[in-house]
Amino acid sequence: MIDVQHAAFDPGFEQTKLLQGRQDIGAIVSFTGLVRDFNEKPDILGMTLEHYPGMTESALNAIVEEAESRWPLQGVRVIHRVGYLAPGDPIVLVLVASAHRRAAFEACDFIMDYLKTRAPFWKKEHTASGHHWVAERASDQRDARRWGES
Amino acid sequence: MSLTHLNTRGEAHMVDVADKAETRREARASGYITMQPATLALLSAGGLPKGDVLATARIAGIQAAKRTHELIPLCHMLALSKVSIDFEINETESRVEATATCRLSGRTGVEMEALTAVSVACLTLYDMCKAVDKDMIIGEIKLEAKTGGKSGDYYREPERDSPIVTGEYRSGEVTVGLRQDTPCVHVKCLAELRERLGINELDVPFESLKEQTVAGLKAILRERDERFFQLDDSRVLCAVNQVMGSDGTPLTADDEVAFFPPVTGG
Repeated sequence: MIDVQHAAFDPGFEQTKLLQGRQDIGAIVSFTGLVRDFNEKPDILGMTLEHYPGMTESALNAIVEEAESRWPLQGVRVIHRVGYLAPGDPIVLVLVASAHRRAAFEACDFIMDYLKTRAPFWKKEHTASGHHWVAERASDQRDARRWGES
Repeated sequence: MSLTHLNTRGEAHMVDVADKAETRREARASGYITMQPATLALLSAGGLPKGDVLATARIAGIQAAKRTHELIPLCHMLALSKVSIDFEINETESRVEATATCRLSGRTGVEMEALTAVSVACLTLYDMCKAVDKDMIIGEIKLEAKTGGKSGDYYREPERDSPIVTGEYRSGEVTVGLRQDTPCVHVKCLAELRERLGINELDVPFESLKEQTVAGLKAILRERDERFFQLDDSRVLCAVNQVMGSDGTPLTADDEVAFFPPVTGG
């Protein structure tokens, strides 16, 4: 259900695999996060994603379980990449399947909000003028609080 | 790895770049010149006998970059598309810091041009200020970054403070690592915090904790090295056995305690 990996992923392939042999799924929402070439500084040449092996997997599993307890979901797939990534590369994939679209949309949004504030990943950006660790955003914390306490 | 400027007979030769692909290449080099605080003050105020020091040194650096091939024997003559020289006045260290950036779309790197530009800019600063200060020292001329080309991108790793002393020691006794049978708390520092503290992992003997909590662990770490005060920053998070914790979280022997900055994934 969840994977933390260096390799790239194919959202189309993952979606096909999730839907394989299923006729009860009425909606699937897919979110892919990509590396931008601008963020805190312009001209980003790439970034390195660090994580805390072990805790990362358990944090992602806990987030998915929390989503499953809040919405009736029929399938969830989360892939987060680590290591060196270049602009345009996909970083994260969240696929959420449900009988109805509302649950799928909301659960996907929820998983991303919680992932950005609770899963132990850190980004270090490489630019033409040096490297820096990306700072956390207050807006991410606000977004996560929309869902109330868990 | 081999030196590209030596041929198979070990003689110096100029590398034939005709078949190399044209790519956008950029290099950045830096260096500095340390001087008396009084000289630095005169330089900032424009009070030196030879006039506007920084403007002159900037032009000198740009000219030097363009003429690198005349100075360094095996360098190619390059049509640089950009040369920029920046100066920063560092009053704390009493020095002028110079940075040169060179760019071109071509077949050979421009790091020699950037390094030459910085060197000549610093030499010019010396010339412009030597009437009032002959003790100036030019230092740490180095490549900071280089992009484009076959050998790949290069970025200098940021310098770290001296690593924190982590070994267990008592006065008059030197030990390497901890004895295997000592029950410990295993501490990890992650991401930016690891780089800031210059420490990855260390073991703290469990019996040394006066209070068996995360707060007690922080207290012991602070006793070892004052830099661990940074763990008290409210931004720093902690996890005990990979579950988020806080100062009050109780610890037992063999627990893994990780300290890290706010997460930024997704």
